[in-house]
Amino acid sequence: MSSSPREYVIAKWIDPAFTELYSAARFVLRFFIEVFQPPFEFKEIIRQCYEIGYKSLPLITLTGFVTGIVFTNQSRPSLAEFGAASWLPSLIAIAIIRALAPLVTALITAGKVGSNIGAELGSMKVTEQIDAMEVSAINPFKFLVVSRVVATTLTLPVLMTYSAFVGLMGAYLNVHLNELTSFTSFFQSAFSQITFLDIYASLFKAVVYGFTIGIVGCYKGFNATQGTQGVGRAANTAVVISMFLIFIEEILIVQVTTWIRTS
Amino acid sequence: MKVTSNKRAVIVGIFIFIGLAFLIAGILAIGSLNKSFTKKLQISAVFDDVGGLQQGNNVWYSGVKIGTVKELSFYDKSQVLVVMNIDEKSQPFIRKDAKAKISSDGLIGNKIIVIYGGTPEVKAVDAGDQLAVEKLFTTEDMINTLQRNNENILSITTDFKEIGKKIMSGEGSLGKLLNDQALYDNLLSTTEKLSLASDNAKKMTEDIAVYVHKLNMEGGLANDLVNDTTVFAGLQEAVLQMNEMVANANEVVSNLNASSNDPQSPVGVLLSDEESAASIKTTIKNLETSSVKLNENLEAMQHNFLLKGYFKDQEKAEKKAQKEAEKAAKKGE
Repeated sequence: MSSSPREYVIAKWIDPAFTELYSAARFVLRFFIEVFQPPFEFKEIIRQCYEIGYKSLPLITLTGFVTGIVFTNQSRPSLAEFGAASWLPSLIAIAIIRALAPLVTALITAGKVGSNIGAELGSMKVTEQIDAMEVSAINPFKFLVVSRVVATTLTLPVLMTYSAFVGLMGAYLNVHLNELTSFTSFFQSAFSQITFLDIYASLFKAVVYGFTIGIVGCYKGFNATQGTQGVGRAANTAVVISMFLIFIEEILIVQVTTWIRTS
Repeated sequence: MKVTSNKRAVIVGIFIFIGLAFLIAGILAIGSLNKSFTKKLQISAVFDDVGGLQQGNNVWYSGVKIGTVKELSFYDKSQVLVVMNIDEKSQPFIRKDAKAKISSDGLIGNKIIVIYGGTPEVKAVDAGDQLAVEKLFTTEDMINTLQRNNENILSITTDFKEIGKKIMSGEGSLGKLLNDQALYDNLLSTTEKLSLASDNAKKMTEDIAVYVHKLNMEGGLANDLVNDTTVFAGLQEAVLQMNEMVANANEVVSNLNASSNDPQSPVGVLLSDEESAASIKTTIKNLETSSVKLNENLEAMQHNFLLKGYFKDQEKAEKKAQKEAEKAAKKGE
């Protein structure tokens, strides 16, 4: 009985997962190499910022505003039970700036932009447009991937800030209608508990989430196979994986932030 | 070839996965890194009621978190044994006679165990020691006390209400004072008089002060009496002499008494013998008669021509002396 070399490292069902991880790591590494190498596609980056950022504003406005109102409404009874309804602005500001604004913005953007990038690049891949670009001496990775990932990374902090502002305005509207709190009083109370660490942490989160959405969407689109079905799968998995990674990153960043705050 | 290349990708993927897993585990552990590596010791306390204390709640000493509740279990019949993990670095500060009590971090905060007290002379706690506990005052206890306070306040306010009613209706001393005009007038008058008396008293006090000041002045009799030893000595001597005089006078009086009692002595005869007394009386009468007659004779002698010149010269000398005295008085004016 002759011994044949092992076909799989661990098992047939798990080896592809590690191959995929390796492939993703290479993709990310390539991005970091390409992003600092000229030529820089500034025009494409600005166009992507417009597409990703500006066109997401209505959705971000609506979700941010609703989040502010709903969270305020839901928090009021708990605080009112202890006679601490006046702490609502502080509570809402902490919740929105520290957690809700980055998370809601990232999830909305992942849903809208991540799927868009996955589907767009996926369709280009299956229709061999990417191969055509390579033939035309255009670096498709730089033009398609780097520009999109840089655009999402730059745009998401802006969208997050805007979402936080809109969310606080929604919260103010609710508080004003119920407690007749003035605009100045609300914002003074809201920002009394906010530190620069909170703001920096949220901005950092937004940068990481933006990068994740961009890189996952591009990776899935860039590696789409099997025709139109593959395009749909790329768009779908781009959203699912980016959302999953966003939550993992949230946990890790909060952990680090808490450590910095307490040390 | 393809299989080999694919294997390499899988192996690198596994390494990336392990690396990421370590990174994530490291970041997750970073928050409680310090606590995980600090050495701890276990001490315990037995409470009658832990009031909702849970595993993982904090343990404070002098307001500093020094550990957590590790375990809660029933002990004896209905007591609760609480095992605490205490940082080893805080061990030297917790004495064996320190006490534990259940408290909360804030009005609506989590339950905590507070370790307090302890005397410096007693040794520090060791692992496995059991701390004494203080009875827990639950919210119910506080509400019960507040209820008793409320009942007391109600009783007091009811009494005050009754008193107020009586005062308003003019009952009792205070009521009369507030409602009776005549009493008020009397009181006012008395107050005025008291005010006047107070003014007088003030004036009198001032006079006394002035008088005392004078008494205290140097050279005054009172001051000398108090401060000058020579005056006092003189006074003492004078008193002694007076005492001596009184003694002598007593002796004289006693001698006189003795003589007066003796009928043979001249004094006794004078004081006791009636015959002698009558004779003396007659003698005095004769003397009076003789002196009258002598006056008459002298008057007659003044008008006698042999002695008349002498009396006139004497009269002139008297008048002259009187005129000189008047002149001297005028010059002086």
